[in-house]
Amino acid sequence: MADLQTIELVKDIEVDKYKYGFETEIESDFAPKGLNEDIVRFISAKKGEPAWMLEARLEAYARWLQMDEPTWARVHYPKIDFQDLYYYAAPKSMSGPKSLDEVDPKLLETYAKLGIPLKEQEILAGVRKQGEKSELDDAGGSEYSSGKVAVDAVFDSVSVVTTFKAELAKAGVIFCSISEALREHPELVKKYLFSVVPQGDNYYAALNSAVFSDGSFVYVPPGVRCPMELSTYFRMNAKNTGQFERTLIIADKGSYVSYLEGCTAPTREESQLHAAVVELIALDDAEIKYSTVQNWYPGDAEGKGGIYNFVTKRGDCRGPRSKISWTQVETGSAITWKYPSCILRGEESRGEFYSIAISNGRQQVDSGTKMIHLGKNTSSRIISKGIAAGRSDNTYRGLVSAHRKATNARNFTQCDSLLIGDKCGAHTVPYIEAKTSTAQFEHEATTSKISDDQMFYCMSRGLTQEEAVALIVNGFVRDVLQQLPMEFMAETQKLIGISLEGSVG
Amino acid sequence: MSIALARTAAEEALDFSLPHRRMEEWRWTDLRQMIDKPYPPRQMVTAEQGEVERLLKSSPFAAIAGARMVFVNGHYDSKHSKLVNSAVEPQAEITEPVQQMNAAFATDGARLVLSGSIDTPVELVFIATDAAPRTIATHNVIEVAGGASATIIETHIGKGSYLANSVTEIRIGEGARLDRVKADLESHDATHLAHAHVTLSANVTYREFTLSTGAKLNRQNGTYAFKGEHTDAKISGAYLLAGKQHADSRLVVDHQVPNCASRELFKCVMDDHARSIFQGKVIVRPHAQKTDGKQSSHALLLSETAEFDAKPELEIFADDVACGHGATAGDLNEDHLFYLESRGITPAEAKALLIAAFVGEAFETIDHDGIREALTDYAARWLTEHRRKG
Repeated sequence: MADLQTIELVKDIEVDKYKYGFETEIESDFAPKGLNEDIVRFISAKKGEPAWMLEARLEAYARWLQMDEPTWARVHYPKIDFQDLYYYAAPKSMSGPKSLDEVDPKLLETYAKLGIPLKEQEILAGVRKQGEKSELDDAGGSEYSSGKVAVDAVFDSVSVVTTFKAELAKAGVIFCSISEALREHPELVKKYLFSVVPQGDNYYAALNSAVFSDGSFVYVPPGVRCPMELSTYFRMNAKNTGQFERTLIIADKGSYVSYLEGCTAPTREESQLHAAVVELIALDDAEIKYSTVQNWYPGDAEGKGGIYNFVTKRGDCRGPRSKISWTQVETGSAITWKYPSCILRGEESRGEFYSIAISNGRQQVDSGTKMIHLGKNTSSRIISKGIAAGRSDNTYRGLVSAHRKATNARNFTQCDSLLIGDKCGAHTVPYIEAKTSTAQFEHEATTSKISDDQMFYCMSRGLTQEEAVALIVNGFVRDVLQQLPMEFMAETQKLIGISLEGSVG
Repeated sequence: MSIALARTAAEEALDFSLPHRRMEEWRWTDLRQMIDKPYPPRQMVTAEQGEVERLLKSSPFAAIAGARMVFVNGHYDSKHSKLVNSAVEPQAEITEPVQQMNAAFATDGARLVLSGSIDTPVELVFIATDAAPRTIATHNVIEVAGGASATIIETHIGKGSYLANSVTEIRIGEGARLDRVKADLESHDATHLAHAHVTLSANVTYREFTLSTGAKLNRQNGTYAFKGEHTDAKISGAYLLAGKQHADSRLVVDHQVPNCASRELFKCVMDDHARSIFQGKVIVRPHAQKTDGKQSSHALLLSETAEFDAKPELEIFADDVACGHGATAGDLNEDHLFYLESRGITPAEAKALLIAAFVGEAFETIDHDGIREALTDYAARWLTEHRRKG
């Protein structure tokens, strides 16, 4: 099992490297610290974008300047100095630790448990870049003499990627970076970009619109069922693609696509702030399934150094009978501020949101969803499982609304919270707005703890306390786990156990 | 974020800044917009005795109540009151706009200390007579002594156009029981702004029921602070709204100590363009272990244009608790209607039966038989009258 996981992980790394292989000329450039109109122009020019894109970025920047940082979420953090950040291809080795000795020992322990070899740990922890020589190489004794060679020995990733590229192209699916899409398919990007999350949508979305450096673009043509789980093999967004990713996925009439972002292995990111934007568009009868596993560095025991994950994710069920399903497993980041939403515009369209949010240590999670029913006979379902441990705060914040014309809108919401220990907090802040009598909304929330009886039973069967907690929590989140693509279910189960370590006793 | 807003005419008349939708707790009830004409405070109005008596008689509790205390246009009416004020001082912190407004404009109010076992309900009647638009503010302090038991009714009745602001502070001593019933039977042209501040000691039993059916604009805040262990509170309410009525309740149930239980049940019936809002928040502070808190709000929308908004919030900082909330919104179940009709009941009757059953659940929480029957009758009359109109 551990070997298999290693192969998985190594595979990811190699694939990412492959991707960087395309972008070397960009990698070497970087803009100075700080944000102003010139930086926005610089980014746009570097990427060779069309004029309309630059205008859109500048408009976003102008809007951003007018906005105030939102404070309504139940999260607390020191004020972010937006002038102290790199907005374009920041030199990645500047802030990284020099050797594994400098890395948070807790993080290394986790790697050991996931079965990641030392070399890979170095890469994940940001001690060294892929392809860089490791100090550990000289020591010898390791079965992998370097990350790259090990990968080559295991897996010829380049050919695999090419195979999949060819297969996708045969199906007509466009899957590339958004910069590439801007060059190759400007008409598609122009038509759909900002159509779900406009430039001035919110503070972080505006910032992202102005300075986004890259991200993924997916277009599935009419009637095509995408032949594979996208990103299962590419995982482009997992590492160092920049703190401002922009993802745009379009499922044309009658098509289907499943997209997975993230990585179960905890990665030490150099940038503290992540303000990504994801836009999904489902046309008539199309279906998009978007799964996220987020396990970024949560900071040390005191929460220092963790990632701020301020993400805007929104899907637009534009066509009749379209469907968008969000599944998320949030275990990392110091602060998560994220509300994947569905606009149910098309008649009989459907939105789903399945979430597991685990917070431990000093983590703060404020996450949930918005289901906006605009069309007739639309339906939505929300299943949210929040688990708070340590000294963390875990908030579900959601909105379900039915417009006057959303006749027969249906919603079912279930928010369950589990508290482990008496120093954490679990909060539920749902908003329900029914503007038509034919809407049927049901909302249910519960808060509970792991009962002593459950623990006693598991432990009397020989499980340790931590194993028992992991088992019970996995049962608690089962409804959501089942929504994940097969490949990720097992890994996620393990991840849940690891995330909760040290939370009991 | 503070935004300087130009004062509206209503705000000028009050010399007071009204809460607006940019304030989270007022997102659905923007008083700046909804209070669209001036209601000057502290107006001296001479009430006509006949009118006062007519209004008094219209209280559904006229036959039930024992001792009464009557306030006419914000002033104690000794002629119709059997009770006099005791020496008891307010203690509640003033934090909320309705309270601030009350602190600025209150002219009078009940000051009661209830001790021993009081069998017949005590009724506080607040009457507004037909006169020029104005603000009427009253401030009540009710102290229930340790071990006492009492039932208190607050009835708000009026005619014409006015703004009633009513703040009630209730402190309940150890081992006491209080049943509180509040009925908003204000004029359909009135605005009713209320705030209740309830402090519960140990081993207290507290029951509260609110009927909201009068005013065109109704906003009620309630804060319930659990200060002693083994206390149990049930807070329920029913809304019967039609036309363009708007009612918003915001409750904060604050569990500060372990081993307490709270229940909230709200049933809202809305027709025409009526809109109702339920904002309930249950806080479980650190160390308030073994808290049992449940909250539910259900809305029945009888017309396409009615609206229900809810924000049932949980804020939990202790792990050994059982807390939950449920909220539903929808119209009458067609299967239920069909079932009744298949038994030979006319559609109109079937509808009335189902509505009565829906709100009935909230009335069931009232322990006092007389009060429950009086209110159930009142609701039945509302339904019949309303159906005749529709």
